[in-house]
Amino acid sequence: MKFYVCIKQVPDVYAPLQIKDGQLIQDADRNVLNAYDASAVEEALVLTEQHGGEVEVVLAGPEKAKETLRKALAMGAHKGTHIVTNGDEEFDSSAYAKILAKFFSDKEYDFISCGKQSQDTDAGLAGSMMAELLDLPYATNAVDLKFSDGTLTVKRQGDAGQEIIDVPSPGLVTCSNDMNDPRIPSLKGIMQSKRKPVDTISLDDLGADISSDEVKTKVLGFEEKPEREAGKKYEGEPDEIAREVAQLLDTEENVI
Amino acid sequence: MDEKFDCIIVGAGVAGLAAAMTLAKNNMKFLLIEKGEFPGSKNVSGGVLWGSDLNKLVPNYWEEEDAGWDRFINHRRLTFMDEQSSFSVDFKSSHFNEAPYNGVVVLRSKFDKWLAGKVEKAIAESDYAMDSFVAPNILVEEVLEEDGKVVGIRTGEDKFYADSVILAEGVNNLLTRQVGLQDKYVPADHMLTGVKEIIRFDQDVLENRFQLNGRSGMSNEFVGHATNGVEGGGFLYTNKDTVSIGLVLGLKDLREKEQTPYDILNHFKKHPAVADMIRGGEVVEYSAHVVSSGDKRVMPEKLYKAGLTVCGEAANLLMNAGKAIQGMDYAMRSGILAAEAITKAKEKGDFGESAMKAYQDTLEDSYVMKDINNFQDAVHLLHDPFMVDKMPNLICDFGRNFFSIKNEPTKKARNMFSDSVKKHASYWDLVKIGAKGAKAL
Amino acid sequence: MSTLLTVISVNDGKIKRSSLEVLSRCNELAADNGLKSAALVIDANASDIAEKLKEYGPDTIYTIENPIFKNHLNTPVLKALSTALDHIQPQLVAFPSTESSKDVLGALAANKEAAALSDMSEFELTENGVKGKRPVMASKIISAVEATGSPVIISVRSGSYDAVEKSSDASIEAIDFNFNDDELRITLKEIISSSSDRVDLSEAEAVVAAGRGVKDEEGRNMISELASILNAGIGASRALTEAGDYDPSLQIGQTGKVVSPQLYIGVAISGAIQHVAGMANSKVIVAINKDPDAPIFDIADYGLVGDLYKILPPFIEELKKIKQN
Repeated sequence: MKFYVCIKQVPDVYAPLQIKDGQLIQDADRNVLNAYDASAVEEALVLTEQHGGEVEVVLAGPEKAKETLRKALAMGAHKGTHIVTNGDEEFDSSAYAKILAKFFSDKEYDFISCGKQSQDTDAGLAGSMMAELLDLPYATNAVDLKFSDGTLTVKRQGDAGQEIIDVPSPGLVTCSNDMNDPRIPSLKGIMQSKRKPVDTISLDDLGADISSDEVKTKVLGFEEKPEREAGKKYEGEPDEIAREVAQLLDTEENVI
Repeated sequence: MDEKFDCIIVGAGVAGLAAAMTLAKNNMKFLLIEKGEFPGSKNVSGGVLWGSDLNKLVPNYWEEEDAGWDRFINHRRLTFMDEQSSFSVDFKSSHFNEAPYNGVVVLRSKFDKWLAGKVEKAIAESDYAMDSFVAPNILVEEVLEEDGKVVGIRTGEDKFYADSVILAEGVNNLLTRQVGLQDKYVPADHMLTGVKEIIRFDQDVLENRFQLNGRSGMSNEFVGHATNGVEGGGFLYTNKDTVSIGLVLGLKDLREKEQTPYDILNHFKKHPAVADMIRGGEVVEYSAHVVSSGDKRVMPEKLYKAGLTVCGEAANLLMNAGKAIQGMDYAMRSGILAAEAITKAKEKGDFGESAMKAYQDTLEDSYVMKDINNFQDAVHLLHDPFMVDKMPNLICDFGRNFFSIKNEPTKKARNMFSDSVKKHASYWDLVKIGAKGAKAL
Repeated sequence: MSTLLTVISVNDGKIKRSSLEVLSRCNELAADNGLKSAALVIDANASDIAEKLKEYGPDTIYTIENPIFKNHLNTPVLKALSTALDHIQPQLVAFPSTESSKDVLGALAANKEAAALSDMSEFELTENGVKGKRPVMASKIISAVEATGSPVIISVRSGSYDAVEKSSDASIEAIDFNFNDDELRITLKEIISSSSDRVDLSEAEAVVAAGRGVKDEEGRNMISELASILNAGIGASRALTEAGDYDPSLQIGQTGKVVSPQLYIGVAISGAIQHVAGMANSKVIVAINKDPDAPIFDIADYGLVGDLYKILPPFIEELKKIKQN
């Protein structure tokens, strides 16, 4: 079984950050593998361990993202491709989708998977955009994957409940991070990752040089989330505070 | 994998990174293991990296645009405090403006990560580019020994073998205790807890407030009321756009006086002299770390055995002798020396006891042990209750009188001084301290 | 005249409130800019649904009715949307942010080569597109964004706008649509639904959320009782859904359900960022937690510090009394 997993390097959302003049400033250069992609890699590894096959990871990103590619290899992926971007282009979801679709246009595979969204933008669009560009059947927000007879059975978290969907090969699936706990690369994995093949290609090589006029959505700036003011704290006898607040919810807030 | 390394280094703090860099430059095959998510994620320092060893590891490091250090120190201040006053000895000199600098102030998560990047680069340029590794997120659980010799390490179920192991695991030196070089339980008596906050300012505000120019910076150490009667001292260092402010406090004394580090830190920040320095800043981080005081009584006597050496804080190489807190520079030098000993051992094909002893010999010969040995008395002096309490009070009291101009006849300084002495101590105390001080300092 | 099109989400025959919020906003923008506001219903019973929409003011209601839409599946929905867009030619297509719309948003945008912005918390029209705001970085920050072209396709976070009734004389227009089963590329085999008589969490006017401190049957019973008195939906923190105490579909949070009720009561919820991202838009927040320093108290309007096992019984009693009066 041949699985491609698209991964992205994103800033660590748990690192301290500040906003200055509408710009986002990270305190330290802390970048990590997008958590949703990590789940996608993990699941692909589990499936190929069960059914045999290969996991290849593809990352579109700047030079410094190479360490994230190595991490996926250290987790157990067999090969990697780094599509090197400048880092200062303002690519949006559709730009990434186009770049990756170009990469996949001449490849053979059973499934392409990726995280359902990336932690920097939380847009959640690139996966299904890629499926459309590649004309692949797809499912999103997978919380479980099973494979048999060339078909991926996807358990998808939908609005009405959990949808069990069969996706034939070749197909695409986007993964929720509720799916699994991605493995931490073992020492052996780290050591082996150095020897695993990584193809480095440029956007030019791919013929996917996207100019900034083609990028239809733009980020204009960043701002702090409006602080929600803390209300009142009630400490004291449980009986009393319970009754007091219940009354206030009725008389003051009218929400009962 | 049946590979054997020349060396496995446990811990990618300053000592481990210094050892790794040296081994990489010497074309050795090694494994640097770090339990944190990335080198620096689990490290805390005040902190200033004193001395010029950084230039040895990363020549001309100051020329790099975004290097991992924040500012060089050209302005030093030592402050004695009582409840309301502060009396400082303040020294600033353009003499300190030339690189390589006397000391650079660093933030560990940034600095260690940067230095680790340099190590990776050195590995890539070495003969063992494909066979030496920096491995984060891995916990070494055991040092493996065979026939009285160290042969490798174990993490989880996996064992990895090497001709030598460098333990640079930090102050919680469990592996050092496991191999018998330190007692299983180290008494709190000579250990300190360091607590600090990082306070953020607009960079221009910071530079104005502390009179900084370009990348110059200031270090300020505090004695006396800073620690609210608990043995220890305070510090404040200027980073690029933040200030590191904190305390080191005697663990035993803290316990006996029933105070918490956080309360004392808040108290310290409220002191008029300190409050004026940090006004308007935003606290962005809080961290704490146990450190040794530099008292030799906690240090393991032997820092080696066949196939193994111990560096950095795992060997309790840290000293607070009042003038400065020196930990990172000791760690760096010990890491370099351990790596050099191992390089020589490889040349001779002998990693036995005497080859490893060479490490401790060079360490004893270096400024690290020479200073630690020489200044033991200073360390003890610093922890003498007189220094925490009476002396700063005495000095501040004197200062208050000396610097007041009243519409009354003015006493002579020596009379003011003797008044202060009588009020806070006694001449006999002074003589005793004076004798200790003369000997120690 | 150009159209602002709202795609209506239907669950179990009921119009989701979040769609009405988006429709109301589009009505407002249309009125302000001299444009038409239209609604699109893609459902097995679209014509019935369409009638109900008249109370919410669109100028036209388009319907695509087909039994294939009994359950959500991206292939037929995409075809329907594509057909509708070709027919209506709107300048803006707005979806409420639901799992179903997330399933098709990107593909639709790629199909029409249109700009797409997901999960907006605010939006307005510009000269050549749309601009607005959306949360990023695990909802820690807001980014200001814009999209250009026509159409622009967006999805909108629930609770961002109010659903405003506005009776209209909307015309209902059915759009021709055919679908053969062999056009299906993926197969829906089964739906494991959360209990159908439970309130849909993302639509609920009141929500009771259980956190780690609700550690046993007794606790869960109190949660159920409280929810039932208030006619509230029950949600849970990730810890509890992972522990199996509550169904994963009840997880409230950044990657779970986003709720925006009038009343949110967090019981033993600490207020971790990921959870708050899913409920920060609630109108009134009540928190019950033993730990006075729990971050939830930084955003709660009413914070009760104490043991939930001691606070909930009198709280429930008092609410019962109030309800009876």
